[in-house]
Amino acid sequence: MKTRDIIRRAGNSLRHAKIRTLLTSLAISVGAFTVTVALAAGAGTQEYTDTLIKSNGDERSLSIFAKSDNQDQTPKEYTQSSSQSSQDAGTLSDNDVAKISKINGIESVTPTYNLGATYMTRAGEKKYQADISIKSDRTMITLEAGSLPSTNEIPAGKAVVPDEYLGVLGFKNAADAIGKTVTVHFDKLSRLGAGKDWAFVVAAVNKQSSLQLRYQPKLQISASDGKTIYDYQHAGSGEQNSYGSVTARMASSADVDKTKQAVKDAGYDVFSLKDIQQTLFQFIDVVKWGVVGFGFLAILASVFGIINTQYISVLERTQQIGLMKALGARRRDIGRLFRYEAAWVGFLGGAIGTGLAVATSLLNPWINTTLGLESGTELLLFKPMTSIVLVLSLIIIAVAAGYFPSRKAAKLDPIEALRTE
Amino acid sequence: MIEVKNVTKTYGKKHNAFQALGDVSFTIPDGASVAIIGKSGSGKSTLMHAMSGLDRPESGEVVIDGRNILKLNQKQVDMFRSHRMSFIFQSFFVQANESCYDNVSLPLEIANVPARARDKKILAALEAVELLDKKKSRARDLSGGQKQRLAIARAIVNDPKILFADEPTGNLDSATGAVVEELLFGYNKNKGATLIIVTHDAELAAKCDMRINIKDGVIEAIETKGKAK
Repeated sequence: MKTRDIIRRAGNSLRHAKIRTLLTSLAISVGAFTVTVALAAGAGTQEYTDTLIKSNGDERSLSIFAKSDNQDQTPKEYTQSSSQSSQDAGTLSDNDVAKISKINGIESVTPTYNLGATYMTRAGEKKYQADISIKSDRTMITLEAGSLPSTNEIPAGKAVVPDEYLGVLGFKNAADAIGKTVTVHFDKLSRLGAGKDWAFVVAAVNKQSSLQLRYQPKLQISASDGKTIYDYQHAGSGEQNSYGSVTARMASSADVDKTKQAVKDAGYDVFSLKDIQQTLFQFIDVVKWGVVGFGFLAILASVFGIINTQYISVLERTQQIGLMKALGARRRDIGRLFRYEAAWVGFLGGAIGTGLAVATSLLNPWINTTLGLESGTELLLFKPMTSIVLVLSLIIIAVAAGYFPSRKAAKLDPIEALRTE
Repeated sequence: MIEVKNVTKTYGKKHNAFQALGDVSFTIPDGASVAIIGKSGSGKSTLMHAMSGLDRPESGEVVIDGRNILKLNQKQVDMFRSHRMSFIFQSFFVQANESCYDNVSLPLEIANVPARARDKKILAALEAVELLDKKKSRARDLSGGQKQRLAIARAIVNDPKILFADEPTGNLDSATGAVVEELLFGYNKNKGATLIIVTHDAELAAKCDMRINIKDGVIEAIETKGKAK
């Protein structure tokens, strides 16, 4: 018999046993649903975590510290001569910066400059205290107005002003601030001289995003401006050229892990955002595969349902099998007829299960409101390929489950079968 | 031509052994109508099964058109059955859930007749048994006589050379039985196909060219056209 004819006849006999077919498929669909939702939630959470991490830091930058001298982490016994600062990790110098810059894969190195602004102001406004920070990595920031280059870096001479500073600086709204100038006054650490004013053109206004784990409103300026101001402030203070840490940016072609190892080998402590990312992803994976496992248990249980149903179907249709054999149908054809029926059941179950699962993605907006996530976030993220692969594997599983009943059907003696009256 | 030579079939083993057919031999010419007559348990059904390759006797030969079908492998026997012979049963065995059209289509699908060639054959067969207007009806909605006519349409759709009928009128009243007989003998005459009827109905048997009387697995008498042999 031709495959097409067998598939059609298999479909027909299932249509004639609608309730039974539906119930058997529903058993499979429970498993299919669980697996699909688990995979979707895993993919969604992973993607969400990824955005979350990118909004809080730059995965292509490394935080580098001086290696702590003692590898032994246990506390030392106190003696009169013990140095007070045995826990100090030590500092990095410009020599270290130069050394790290030469490491393969490193694009640029920026020391962490600590700046202290005396006040900020604008023409005609009062003076206010200001927090200044230097943006030396490419972390994404949520802008309310204005724009930054695609690298998320602030150009020299420009600044990003937080939403919270707008009012005191005399801006009507975020859009009003763009292109205007803000003046920041810095004093020398040594308190000598009258200090100096720096003027910054507002390139953009940022606001808090729910993706940010920690947010403090700060006036952000470029790394090059930061260095100039740092040098000015620290000149003659004796603390110049000594940094707690440096931030290194990797070239886009460099491998994060390899570069990290290279920096480590050069004698530094390194920390990258990828470390957090890996830990989080590992956790998500464990939960995801746990739930998927339960889904597969459900599928396993439904396999016995298919076997049972198919056995009953063979018994019910003894005459039909006998007749087909009398008419010259081959054993193979009879076996295929029943296996294709099982395949239909598997397909239906998979389609119903994944269909219902995909329908749950309609809950995404509700989930976002309930959990207070950024709107547009898809915590249940369905990938069509996953569903297709799942349905295909369910068909294969169903066919395997239909193997024994179909063999019984194929082996049936036509004479015995036709004697049933 | 069908030659049955020394066919013996035993059921069971050793002490429980029961001989259903004992050394049966006869020859049926092409296009003949043959009745195999006997009481129930006489071995007439077993003989039909042996002649159609459904059953395998332990000894003897069934030579159809020069080929001993008992020597063919399973695949060849199946092919032979799907292309050369067909069956009609006492209890019809039509597929109740399927339409008349699909019922008649089944033997063509089994014989791998291309889809394009099927439609004409199916309609012709339904027309021959006057069920063309019922082609879309489900078989379960038919009366007993109509079901047997549908079974005949299914049996003749692929132009078999040999038609086996196992008590074809056994479940029918005499009026519908007569219609079915007419259809069977009509196919036998018009197409020159061999018709083999297994029956214990003497009246039906009398209409056949040849009668094989069987009792306890042994041939008692073979008559042709009313004459004893």
